[in-house]
Amino acid sequence: MRGAWSRPLAGLSPRASAGLWAASFIVPLLIWCALSYLPFVWHPMVRVTDPGDVAWMTPGALVERPEFMTENAEVAARQGRPAVGVPANPVFLPAPHDVVRALVTGFTTPPARPEEPWLHQSLWHSIKVIFWGFLISSLIGVPLGILCGAIPAMGRLTEPFIEFFRYLPAPAFGALAVAVMGIEDAPKVAIIFIGTFFQQVLVIANTTRRIDPALLEAAETLGASRRVLITRVVVPGVITDIYTDMRVLLGWAWTYLIVAELIGVSSGITYFINQQAKYRAYERVFASIFLIGVIGLVTDIVLASLGRQLFPWLRTARRGWFSALVAALRGRGGPAADAAGEPDVAAPEGIARA
Amino acid sequence: MIADVAGYLDQAPEVRARFTKLKERPVILDVRDLGKTFTAPGRPPTVALDRISFRLHRRELACVIGPSGCGKSTLARLVAGLEEPSGGEMLLDGKPIHGPGADRGMVFQSYTLFPWLTVLRNVMFGLEVSGTSSSAEAIGEAKMWLELVGLSKFASAYPHQLSGGMKQRVAIARALANRPRMLLMDEPFGALDAQTRCQMQSYLLQIWKQVDITILFITHDLDEAVYLADRILILDAHPGRLREVMEVPVPRPRTPDQFLEPTFIAARRHLEELIHPRAAQLADKLPPFHMAIAGDEVE
Repeated sequence: MRGAWSRPLAGLSPRASAGLWAASFIVPLLIWCALSYLPFVWHPMVRVTDPGDVAWMTPGALVERPEFMTENAEVAARQGRPAVGVPANPVFLPAPHDVVRALVTGFTTPPARPEEPWLHQSLWHSIKVIFWGFLISSLIGVPLGILCGAIPAMGRLTEPFIEFFRYLPAPAFGALAVAVMGIEDAPKVAIIFIGTFFQQVLVIANTTRRIDPALLEAAETLGASRRVLITRVVVPGVITDIYTDMRVLLGWAWTYLIVAELIGVSSGITYFINQQAKYRAYERVFASIFLIGVIGLVTDIVLASLGRQLFPWLRTARRGWFSALVAALRGRGGPAADAAGEPDVAAPEGIARA
Repeated sequence: MIADVAGYLDQAPEVRARFTKLKERPVILDVRDLGKTFTAPGRPPTVALDRISFRLHRRELACVIGPSGCGKSTLARLVAGLEEPSGGEMLLDGKPIHGPGADRGMVFQSYTLFPWLTVLRNVMFGLEVSGTSSSAEAIGEAKMWLELVGLSKFASAYPHQLSGGMKQRVAIARALANRPRMLLMDEPFGALDAQTRCQMQSYLLQIWKQVDITILFITHDLDEAVYLADRILILDAHPGRLREVMEVPVPRPRTPDQFLEPTFIAARRHLEELIHPRAAQLADKLPPFHMAIAGDEVE
């Protein structure tokens, strides 16, 4: 079946899926490599190896190609020795191997000035700010979102204002946050909170509204009170979708981090990046930016995997690593829930007709 | 028209005796002048149910049948308390019904098992929220009901691992585990394929035989109604009115073989005559339409 992949909603074999996953990273990497290592691709600059008779050039200098040509033409007209150089990229596009080297040395190189933080200190600082901002936002935003989604009166009372507030750009509160909370980490956490919270309430309220009303009706005919409807039907019914929402929202929180870290005393990974840019160490800038991407990607993969473990009804397979871990932590005796929920019979897989 | 087969009104002596005894049993559900009008702003109000009155006796299995749009489902939802009636009253064991409650179980056409709970936990749901029994008792109780519907083996499976028929059997067990006074079934087998549906009907009769439960069963399937019911409430559409209450002359115990017996056919034919003419008229109203098709000469 040629071209089967192009059918809308076509299924993918695990191998093809893994291959495409890898390709989505490899292709951009190859483009970057091509730009960096193939002298005939782009390379708008010339790195001078021998200045010849051009007076102002020095070995190692980066000159724009047209300028280099003009100078050489002038020198040639004067019967002088032309300058020699190799094609090069601008300083702001370091080659992959430079960035990889910077990534490794970034953790081993002491900061340029003693009072500056190391790379890992900067990163850790950023992660702490994100963590607190996102945690505080979620502690209020998730329950409020669920309530707004589940109880229309509640949603009507809060959502219009939140809808308005979410259009106010979080960074605009920077000055205010500094005035109220000082110049250290508190205003940064506040910016992440403001950036996350209002979106969070609306997104989660919308997710909650998608619960199948028939489930609520079924629960009512089984004698569920209103409180039970929320705690035992709405919450478990939407928790998997909310979990997915939270993964997306965490990505947004990282976006606000960069702005948040610029207010008050600049700090964290943003400060690190800015310092390196000042020193024109662009390979370090790239390394730090990639580091954020890697942290985001790894977090998301871990959370996705954790999600599959936390919500066993979404998967067909057996006990996963998480329940095994929990069982191990609790000691050899199976958890109490096992006694009720998972007795003698192992969950049958792919059960056919009645 | 129905002279050539036994009339649906001719009841064999044992059937008549059964109905006499049935009517002596206490009344579980007493519906009086029940009405439901749906109003939406900007639209004329629609009368879904108009002054419906009937009584269900203990351990009776009654089916409600009627053309689509006659308010069958609305009737079940009103009794379940999921909708507020616009008029009349409903008494369960002599006490008025207000809102949904554990004393009336319901099985829906759509699958309503909680996907995040195992089969056993689904059956335990009602017991847990009522909080009357300890966790250990609830487990024992739920296992008993699962056994009754023949799904003990699947106690730890999740709903998505079950077939449609099995899901509905769990839903029945879940509703019964609450020990309700009556069970409302709103086209519970409507989404199943024909064979599974037939099987489920037999399952239901078996379960009903073993449990003290009064059942109000909504269906649009005439065979299903005759096969299951003691009495059939036949509704008219627009507005939904109770047209007739039919005592099914087919003796119990029921078996699928009876589908071909004269009493069964007579009862079914009577239902068809009550419900069908409307549908037939509708078909007549379609405009004539001709298209040159290869093979037209077959007619």
